[in-house]
Amino acid sequence: MTDTEQFPVRVEQPDRNGGNIFSRVFDELTAFCRSRSLFILHYCTGCGAIELPPAMTSRFDMERLGISPMVSPRQADILLITGYVSVKTLKRVMLTYEQMGSPKYVIGICSCTVNGGMYWQSYATAKKLNDYMPVDLYIAGCMPRPEAVITGLRQLMDKIAAGEANGWEDYYRRYDYYLGHQQRLFGETWQTPTDVIAEARHYGLFGPETLGDHTRLLEQHQAPLEALEMQLGLGAPDEVKA
Amino acid sequence: MNDAHLPVERLSIILGEVKEVRVTQKGPRRTRLDVAADALPALLELLKGRAGFVHLSAISCVDWPDDAQFELVYHLWSYELNLLVSAHTRIDRDPGVYVSVYDIYHPAGFFERDIHEMYGVFFEGAPDMEKFILTEWDGPPPMRKEFDSEGWVNDHFDWQDYRPDWLLELEAQGGGVMIPPDEQRFSRRGIEDNDDAG
Ligand code: SF4
Repeated sequence: MTDTEQFPVRVEQPDRNGGNIFSRVFDELTAFCRSRSLFILHYCTGCGAIELPPAMTSRFDMERLGISPMVSPRQADILLITGYVSVKTLKRVMLTYEQMGSPKYVIGICSCTVNGGMYWQSYATAKKLNDYMPVDLYIAGCMPRPEAVITGLRQLMDKIAAGEANGWEDYYRRYDYYLGHQQRLFGETWQTPTDVIAEARHYGLFGPETLGDHTRLLEQHQAPLEALEMQLGLGAPDEVKA
Repeated sequence: MNDAHLPVERLSIILGEVKEVRVTQKGPRRTRLDVAADALPALLELLKGRAGFVHLSAISCVDWPDDAQFELVYHLWSYELNLLVSAHTRIDRDPGVYVSVYDIYHPAGFFERDIHEMYGVFFEGAPDMEKFILTEWDGPPPMRKEFDSEGWVNDHFDWQDYRPDWLLELEAQGGGVMIPPDEQRFSRRGIEDNDDAG
C-alpha cells in the first residue's frame, strides 16, 4: 500500500472558535470558489443517464453554472450516480469514489439510488446508496428531468458555498460503518486499493468511529496489492471449438 | 416443393416428415412446435437444412416447478419463408441436463451459458458453461422459481427510512410519499402472488 505519509497535504481546518476573522473570510471565499467550479464524473449506471446530455448541452447548458464533465476520477469533484446500481457496478463505484480527491461530493440521481426504485425486489441491485458512501444530495424521480438535475446541482452549489456538503468527511470519520455495509454485500474479503484509514489520519479526520469490527475484519483479509497482468483477449473463435 | 405454396404450407410439408411433433398455428407467421426432448436436435437440423431456418434468435427457459420440468423454447426465423417458429420441449427439472445444439447453431452457446447461469440447466457438449453475467454471484441460480428474491433482498439490504423528519414537513403541506412502499408491495399486503407459472 502506498505510504500516504510521504505526500505533503495541507488540511484546511476551519477555525470554529472564532479566532482570526480573516481566516473565516478566506474559508468563505474558498467555499464560494469551490462551488463555482465543479467537475462531474458521471458514472452512468442506469437509465437516468439519458437526461444528462440535454442537461449538459446547449438546451439546459450546465456549463453556465460552472459545471462541466471530467474524464478522470482523480480530477473530478462530483460523482454523479445516474440510476440503479447493480451489485457488480457498486464495487466499481466504490473504487472510483475512493480514488477521487477530497473534497468530493456524491449525487444520487433517480429513485433507484434512493431505495432501489422499481428494482426494490431485485437480488442484483443495491438499494440505499448512502449505506455504502456518503451521499450529499439525492435527485429523485424516474427519471428526473434536466430541470430537476440542474436544480439539484444548484442546491449542491449552495450547500458547498455554505460549507454544508461535508459527506466526504463522514466517510473518513465513520469508515467502519460504510465498510460494514460493503462487507455485508461483497463478502468479508472485500478490499479496495485505497488505504482509507491512513488517508483519514492524514486529513486529520480520524475519529472514534473510523475503526471498528469491520476494519479489523479487513485487516485480517487484507492482501498486498499486485499489479494486474496485461492481457489481450484475441482468442480466435476456432480455439473455442477445439 | 414449389414456390406456389404458401410458406406455412411449405413448412407443414417438411414437418410431415417428422413424427410426433405437435403443430399449433399461433398466427399467420408464427408456428409453435411441441416435440419430445430426444427429437428436438433432429427437428432443428431439419428446419435449418430444408426450410432455411438459419437464425436462432433466442433460447428461452421456463421453470415449471409443479410439473418438475423445465421448458426450453428455441426461437427460429427463416428468411426464406419469413416465418417464426418456436420449438418447445420439456426436460426433467432434476437433474436438469440437456444436450447442447451448439453444433447446429453456434449462437446457442451464448444462450445455453445464460440459461445454465440463471436456471442451473447443464447443456452437455456446450463449449462453455462458466459464469457469464453473474460473475460475482455465488447464490443459487436466481431465475428458478424457488429462489426467494425478496427474502434475499431483505437479508442483504436495509431499507430507506420513509418517514424522515424533513418529509413530515412536506406531508403537512400536502406532498410526500402517498402510499409508503410497505403498504404497496404485494408480499406485505398479504396478497398471494398469483403468478404461479400458470
Ligand atoms: S429511477 Fe427509473 S429511470 Fe432511474 S434508473 Fe431507476 S428505473 Fe431507471
